[in-house]
Amino acid sequence: MNTDPTRRDSPAPVVLRAHGIRRAFALGKARSLEILHGIDIALHRGERVALMGASGAGKSTLLHILGLLDRPDEGEIEIDGRDPWACSVAERASIRNQRLGFVFQFYHLLPELTAIENVLLPSMIARGAVDWRRSRGELRARAEHALAEFGLADRMRHKPPQLSGGERQRVAIARALFTDPELLLADEPTGNLDKATGETVLELLLAEQEKRGLSMLLVTHDSRLAAHCERVLTIEDGVIQADSAHPIPL
Amino acid sequence: MYRSFLSWRYLFARRTNLIGMVGILVAVAALILILSIMTGFLDASRDAVRGSLADIIIEPNQGVEAGSEVPRDPYELLHAVRSDERVQAATSQLIWAGLITQRGKKLDHILASQGSTANNPILVQLVGIDTAGPLRVTWPALQAAVRTVGGILPDLHVQDEFDTTRLLAALTGEASGPTLAPVENPLFPFAPPSRRPRRGRPKASVLVGEQLFDIFNMRRGDILQIGTIVQDPETGEWPLNNREFVVAGTFRSGQNEADMGRIYLDRGELSDFLGHFRDYTQVLVAARDYEHDAASLTADLRRDLAERGLISEGPRGPYEVRTWEEFRVNLLGAIENERVLMAIMLSLVLVVAGFTIFAILSMMVSEKRRDIGILLALGATPRGIRQMFLFIAFWDALLGSLAGALLGTWGALRIDPLERALSRFFGVEIFNRQVYLFDHIPSIVQPLAVALIVLGAFACALLFAAIPAWRASKLDPLAALRYE
Ligand SMILES: Nc1ncnc2c1ncn2[C@@H]1O[C@H](COP(=O)(O)OP(=O)(O)O)[C@@H](O)[C@H]1O
Ligand SMILES: [Mg+2]
Repeated sequence: MNTDPTRRDSPAPVVLRAHGIRRAFALGKARSLEILHGIDIALHRGERVALMGASGAGKSTLLHILGLLDRPDEGEIEIDGRDPWACSVAERASIRNQRLGFVFQFYHLLPELTAIENVLLPSMIARGAVDWRRSRGELRARAEHALAEFGLADRMRHKPPQLSGGERQRVAIARALFTDPELLLADEPTGNLDKATGETVLELLLAEQEKRGLSMLLVTHDSRLAAHCERVLTIEDGVIQADSAHPIPL
Repeated sequence: MYRSFLSWRYLFARRTNLIGMVGILVAVAALILILSIMTGFLDASRDAVRGSLADIIIEPNQGVEAGSEVPRDPYELLHAVRSDERVQAATSQLIWAGLITQRGKKLDHILASQGSTANNPILVQLVGIDTAGPLRVTWPALQAAVRTVGGILPDLHVQDEFDTTRLLAALTGEASGPTLAPVENPLFPFAPPSRRPRRGRPKASVLVGEQLFDIFNMRRGDILQIGTIVQDPETGEWPLNNREFVVAGTFRSGQNEADMGRIYLDRGELSDFLGHFRDYTQVLVAARDYEHDAASLTADLRRDLAERGLISEGPRGPYEVRTWEEFRVNLLGAIENERVLMAIMLSLVLVVAGFTIFAILSMMVSEKRRDIGILLALGATPRGIRQMFLFIAFWDALLGSLAGALLGTWGALRIDPLERALSRFFGVEIFNRQVYLFDHIPSIVQPLAVALIVLGAFACALLFAAIPAWRASKLDPLAALRYE
């Protein structure tokens, strides 16, 4: 039996690989608490992976590290065969912008922007003023189409405070998918929604993942959500305790 | 793209940003307004500093020790100056120092007695002038006569005369006070007054500054004893000369110094009093277009007059032909200094506006912590975040200073009606036209100053925004992203 979780045993190429990730947070002056004690993960193209664990287990911490929002104290990350922490700040930002998509529990939309402007935001960030002006019309049409597909055709000019939780999360998903990322990082996307709404949002998320063939890391503490994923990782005591793709022998 | 877009959106999403903008607006408008008025006032005081000075003053060095052979009388010099096309008029003056005493006191007595301070002699400036020729003098009367029958005679411009002599203007103006005695006929200021003593040989007339006249308790027709000292050509000594004059009237120049200590008399009479030690000390020149010609005219006069031997050559030469500005260079420097100082002090207003922007942006950075985290997650760089906040200050500066420049310029141009309207509205006189020497509020808008103020507003806004913008770029995105 193969026990190396990073070893490629499916034909799909690795989108993101992490090895020996450690992360500690300072508690006061002298003490610090290590949350992650050496995590190894490989995410393959088109793979749907659930990351499970109790509240406070370090799921979000790991997701932020994989999303290049936080730097691990130890360990390497590899995206596209490169170490993003060896790249410049701008290159790292561009990886986040082009290759990664984020969906958060609390939606994290900009409250001053309308739904469609929120969706367009990653494209605005990617483009200079001239480039933006040239492609604005086309991008706008695409964003409108995407929102309409998510059932938000009559909500495009609304600002987040005027939207319901489910609508906000759908806008956030449309935003995360707008730049056609390779990897979607979703941190408890239904955690703040009621059961029925959560289910429709999850269905939408899974359908898009399937359709686009992108990889997705779905952080959840709900095993029913995890059941939708082909591979389930469990984090406990700062390490991956179980990987359904590579059951650890007892 | 998101930098300008989001900063613009934030600008109007948060009302507090408008405070920063209004701060810039008020600062720029106030700066332009105050600076324009200051410039106006200083320009007016420049006129005051100029006083009765002619455009160009020529003072040949007539001292024998200088070895100069310049002529003793002014006529050749006057002729040379008047032959220049750029010269409108020229006249000669003889200025000398004199001493006067209280009425009835003999000067020799006082100097010998060293008595009480009340009897101290007073140092005065004796100014001998060429009064206008007969045609010049009768012309205004002729003009008036023709006007009464409905005709118009043009103003007279005879180059031989110095028609900008302010004395004449002062004398023909309105009477200056009940205790004072204007001359009987302003057109012939040195004509002896009718109430003059008949005995002895006829005495020359003098015009006394009105304050001096008042302090000394003079009356028209009084005898005034004037003393002066001139070098004796034979012995080389400087004995005191005394002569009695008749007070023909007073003049008022509006300048304290002149009104307190100047006495006008005919140049010929003064020269005679000095035993023809000097015929004239300076030639006053009025240029046709001073602003345009000052430098070239002065340079040409220096060269031509030196070539003709009318002023002395050598190191002192340049000082013998001077513009009025060179003459008053210290006072003008002080005024310019004042303007610069004022501008620096007023710039503090901009600093205050900049500080408002600093405070508002600092608040905004804290408030927008989560947005910053989201933007970083979506691929913005810390540098981009920094620029975004700088953009907010840029919009503040752009809109604020543009509106401020328009408002300030408009206000400066229409300050007079504005002040009147405000005075009427509040019922308080804001600008007391009696206190100042002007009947309107002087105001000059300088485009360069406006441009500099706008530039300063930009610099100030961006400089003060740099700190919160830098802080925003250093924020840890996670702390903001983790929670709602
Ligand atoms: N910046 C931080 N400073 C201190 N402790 C932190 C910080 N971020 C996370 N933690 C701690 O790390 C642990 C894991 O947090 P998190 O990754 O959010 O857990 P999960 O997402 O699995 O619920 C928690 O106990 C949390 O308090
Ligand atoms: Mg979490």
